[in-house]
Amino acid sequence: MKRWLGVIAALALVATACGGDDGGDGLLQTVQDRGTLACGVNETLPGFGVVDEAGAYSGFDIDFCRAVAAGVLGDANAVEFVPLTAEARFTALQSGEVDVLIRNTTWTATRDGQEGVNFLFTTFYDGQGMMVPASSGITDLEGLADANICVLSGTTTELNLTAVLNARGVPFNPVVFEDNTQLRPAYEEGQCQAWTSDASQLAAFKATIESEGGDDQFILAEIISKEPLGPVVADGDTAWAQAVEWSVMAPVQAWEFGLDSGSVGSYSGDNPNVLNFVGDGDFDPGLSLSPSFAVDVVSQVGNYEEIFTRNIVPIGLSLAGSPNDLWTNGGLMYVPPYR
Amino acid sequence: MTADVKPPEVESKPPIYRDVKFLRTAGQIFAVGVVALIVFFLLNNLVTNLGRRNIGTDFGFLNRPTQFQIPYHQGFNPRSSVWGMVFVGIKNTFLAGLVGIALATVIGVVLGIARLSKNWLVARFAEVYVEFFRNIPPLVIIIFFGFAVFTFGPFPIVEESWEYSLPGTDETFLIINNDRWGIPSFFGGDNAVLFWFFVVFALIVAWVVWWYRTKVNEQTGRPHHRALWALGTFVGLTVVGFFVLGTPLSWSLPRISENRRLIVDGFIVNWGYISVTVALALYTASHIAEIVRGSILAVPMGQTEAANALALSGFQRYRFVVLPQAMRIAVPPIINQFLNLVKNTSLATAVGYADITALTKTSIGNGRPAPQSIVILMAVYLLFSLSISFLLNIVNRRLQIAGR
Repeated sequence: MKRWLGVIAALALVATACGGDDGGDGLLQTVQDRGTLACGVNETLPGFGVVDEAGAYSGFDIDFCRAVAAGVLGDANAVEFVPLTAEARFTALQSGEVDVLIRNTTWTATRDGQEGVNFLFTTFYDGQGMMVPASSGITDLEGLADANICVLSGTTTELNLTAVLNARGVPFNPVVFEDNTQLRPAYEEGQCQAWTSDASQLAAFKATIESEGGDDQFILAEIISKEPLGPVVADGDTAWAQAVEWSVMAPVQAWEFGLDSGSVGSYSGDNPNVLNFVGDGDFDPGLSLSPSFAVDVVSQVGNYEEIFTRNIVPIGLSLAGSPNDLWTNGGLMYVPPYR
Repeated sequence: MTADVKPPEVESKPPIYRDVKFLRTAGQIFAVGVVALIVFFLLNNLVTNLGRRNIGTDFGFLNRPTQFQIPYHQGFNPRSSVWGMVFVGIKNTFLAGLVGIALATVIGVVLGIARLSKNWLVARFAEVYVEFFRNIPPLVIIIFFGFAVFTFGPFPIVEESWEYSLPGTDETFLIINNDRWGIPSFFGGDNAVLFWFFVVFALIVAWVVWWYRTKVNEQTGRPHHRALWALGTFVGLTVVGFFVLGTPLSWSLPRISENRRLIVDGFIVNWGYISVTVALALYTASHIAEIVRGSILAVPMGQTEAANALALSGFQRYRFVVLPQAMRIAVPPIINQFLNLVKNTSLATAVGYADITALTKTSIGNGRPAPQSIVILMAVYLLFSLSISFLLNIVNRRLQIAGR
């Protein structure tokens, strides 16, 4: 089973020869020599990462994998997607099975400190919410007293749920499932009275359930946690971390500059920051990336707004006014200047 | 001519590379050395790789709080340590394993005998059962059972639970929904602990009576009726003790809570537990049935014929002649099936049952170190398997000695 990938990856960690990435060449060089990027993803989360019948991946996180590939290799399609469970993801990163993990992974202090990984630029500001059937009449967390609450195992949502409900003095019973394909029927058939997860996931499943003829769903207004989601790399390779981070930030920078996938290649203004960004005069900030990396990323994957509109808007969330809006619009999307 | 030929010296040793004694020892030392080197290489790799990523290899995390709630254990405090979680996991694995083993044994033995029945219907039913369950992976049976019987099954949601009350009263004694079932149990009163000691005492006395009646039978030839005597002693003593200690136990009947989301009092089992236990019992029973059938067939035909010659009834033939000999053959392979059942409870995570494997996975997912957690998991299963082997090997030895 997929679930045992974690154990297999742990064994792989045991068996990995001591050579690996401390042989002088960094991971950036290794990936460029190999010509493909191994990207750890989720394949069961509408909006963020799904696989269609033809085996093609799509989604918000998938697009950022493609952005990294475009930045590092110049080709957004040079990605090998590695589907990972919540539990297997860090071990896969530690053992070198994947080069970068972009799998709706929340940045927390413990994970940063104990998992031997490095969290980079937050691409999506999420928060944990709670969904109940609209017919239940529940409108606040207190209404969930003694309820069964469906939750995925091995996620921060489980800890948030316990912390918040215990602090409020609301007793509850978690019903833990391995993945959403098992959790959803249990929720729809009433084995649990509520489903907790990141608000973006709940919105996606609310839309899916209602469009497939299920009962109307209600998402409680209260958000019970901060969930900054972004790419993760293994500790100890700064050059690789920088290459990934700047590739991932390029779509946000392009959005701020008013550039999109169509216009980024043909900028004709004279803003020096934008000219640096599009690699005019072979401007090279010294990140070991090609001067045209930002153009490669944005022309092949799009700017942040395009990526968001393509993947997240269809599941029922809007960009304007959310924390994911640009800082100039009052949101949190803010990247260091390109000088 | 022949005088010149000397016999070869018997004393002379062969050269060292042809010395069988030396080669054998050297070969063994070499094998041990290779294994030790491989183990050292792997462990060293693990520690080096973990160290390079700044991941610790100590077990200090066991004393820190779990910070998550264990499913169906509302009494579990998230501030209690990971040790506490490990013990809950062990308890849950033990409960599933113990009841599973008991069910599997009963079903398996009955089916094994049924397969040899002369009744066509009974024999064919047993055959179909065995072939069906033996050839499906246990995980599939567990998932099918969990989702077909509970999630999509006939049982109502908790707010609309079926409640059965004793005729003529309002007291419910059985509550059923698609999440948990409530059945009656005991409330411990003032002298409950004392009473349980008394029950153990009554058991010992009953065993002494059993032994005494056997002796009487052996010495005088009078019928022993030992089962009747022992049972009578036990029941009599227990009833007396119950009233002497001032009714230390009372019925605890399940009820639905005010908000109709919980079952309070009584004994509560959850759907994951029922699914895992029943599914594994049905699966393992099919294997035990085959072992029992094979063991019965392995008892020489002459034994059955001799029993028939003594005019023993069908039941007596099995009880006193065939089964005691068959059990001797059956016990060792059945021990294997028990071990398999306990190890298969690790599949419980598929239906959300909080066994030791499920809890360990949750714990790893919440930032506890994977290598150390897996080591503890392995130690727990090793402990279970070795205990079962130890206990049943004692049983096995008794069976063997009794006959020889």
